[in-house]
Amino acid sequence: MKDSTKRIIKSGWTNFRRNSWLSFGTTGVMTLSLLVLIGLIASNASLQGISSSLKEKVDVSAYFKFEATEDQILEIKSQLELMSQVKTIAYISEEQALAIFKERHKSDELIQSALDELGNNPLQASLSIKAKDPNQYVDIVNFLEGTEFNGLIEKVNYYENEKVISKIDSLSKGLNTGGALIALILAIISILIAFNTIRLTIYSQRQEIEIMRLVGASNWQIQGPYIMEGSIYGIIAGLISLAISYPIILLVSPKIHTLVPDLNLFNYFVSYIGQIIGLVIISGIALGIISSIIAIRRYLKK
Amino acid sequence: MIFFENVSKTYDNCKALDEVNLEIKDGEFVSIIGSSGAGKSTLLKILTREEKPTSGKILVDEIDVAELKENEIPYLRRKIGTVFQDFKLLANKTAFENIAFALEVLGVSEPDIAKDVPRVLKIVGLEDKAFNFPQQLSAGEKQRIAIARALIHRPKILLADEPTGNLDLLNTYEITKLLVKINEFGTTIVLTSHNREVVNAIGKRVLTMEKGKITKDQQEKGRYII
Repeated sequence: MKDSTKRIIKSGWTNFRRNSWLSFGTTGVMTLSLLVLIGLIASNASLQGISSSLKEKVDVSAYFKFEATEDQILEIKSQLELMSQVKTIAYISEEQALAIFKERHKSDELIQSALDELGNNPLQASLSIKAKDPNQYVDIVNFLEGTEFNGLIEKVNYYENEKVISKIDSLSKGLNTGGALIALILAIISILIAFNTIRLTIYSQRQEIEIMRLVGASNWQIQGPYIMEGSIYGIIAGLISLAISYPIILLVSPKIHTLVPDLNLFNYFVSYIGQIIGLVIISGIALGIISSIIAIRRYLKK
Repeated sequence: MIFFENVSKTYDNCKALDEVNLEIKDGEFVSIIGSSGAGKSTLLKILTREEKPTSGKILVDEIDVAELKENEIPYLRRKIGTVFQDFKLLANKTAFENIAFALEVLGVSEPDIAKDVPRVLKIVGLEDKAFNFPQQLSAGEKQRIAIARALIHRPKILLADEPTGNLDLLNTYEITKLLVKINEFGTTIVLTSHNREVVNAIGKRVLTMEKGKITKDQQEKGRYII
């Protein structure tokens, strides 16, 4: 058994080497397929980055009347924190609101002097709330309005933002489903092309397969080297496609970064490098092996 | 021993073999002659189960060939050596590897292969062509490699389907001589041929086939008569 496995591996490698043009072509097509896969990973990451950075920009703020004490506001905050829909809550006290306001308008002397003239702080304390998902803001607002502290709340800016929030929500959903659909179609196309190339490679070997059968080779003895060859195509195509995509990502990443500041594609690839290499190589091998098995089956019957 | 009992093979209403009865003893050299389409090649193809008979019983070395399951066919073929008119060598393997392949399918170990292949290459006189690929060999050399492959596992039966059909006069003579020598070592040989000189030079049992039937069986010192 050990001997025959060794023979199959050796024979697969020898076939790969000796049919160099055929191997070159097949590996090339498989490399293209795997590049499409890497492209899909990259575009998926970009789309997710875009959609989450859009979502990140959405929040609602509840502004409190001046009579609300800090303890009461913090009590509301801790109740909100219990809600599963809430992602983060930030409490901004009157003083902090003033500081932020001053900082934002520090170059505007008119505003500065108006504030000085006013004497006291005109700004309200607020809670700035982010939901896990844009469509959950309704629940949060309903909760705020239903609570015993409703009387303390001056206003919730949700209703002004409602339209924008729902637009962003549907846009990010659209990006995700559209992206997944395009990814699926491209993946199917590239799998079919790679499969067909391997089918042609094996078709060109049909006479050899016939001879092996006549000499008394079992199905496994015939099939083994071709499956091995298929997996060699996969491994090499995987390595080449990774080597090609590395400089491309390095080059494109800063450009995407300027478009979507929250997204660093290169870092994304670096942080998932193990999984991406694994996925690309395993997809390559699986594509090679499965295509070989399906393609060779028809020549083994009889 | 090879034994045919009422063997028929029909392809879409055309009878390639028609109720053939035949017995070939161990160590015999049988030449089968007949015009194209007489059923010679079909008879050999049925022996290796490349074709399944439509009816009848065939025994090859006690194996009931017609009843073999798909996964048992390789075992039958490993008992028989086959030589074809078009050589059927594996194009991307060297002469050495082509011969070794017949041993590999049997699971013979690498050291034994390394020992046996040069020996049989010497028998066919091509020890210096071991590492040439088929396209680097002449037709005669290719056929000798094919014979070496058919012999390497010491089969009891060697089938040769028009082995000299693609060869020039000199190579035809060489190959015929080689086949006779192999037969002298005890291997049963079944040969089909269109070549009068070859059949007459061998001068052993000659079967004549016509329209799927054996019409003449010259048991000894047979001549090419159609």
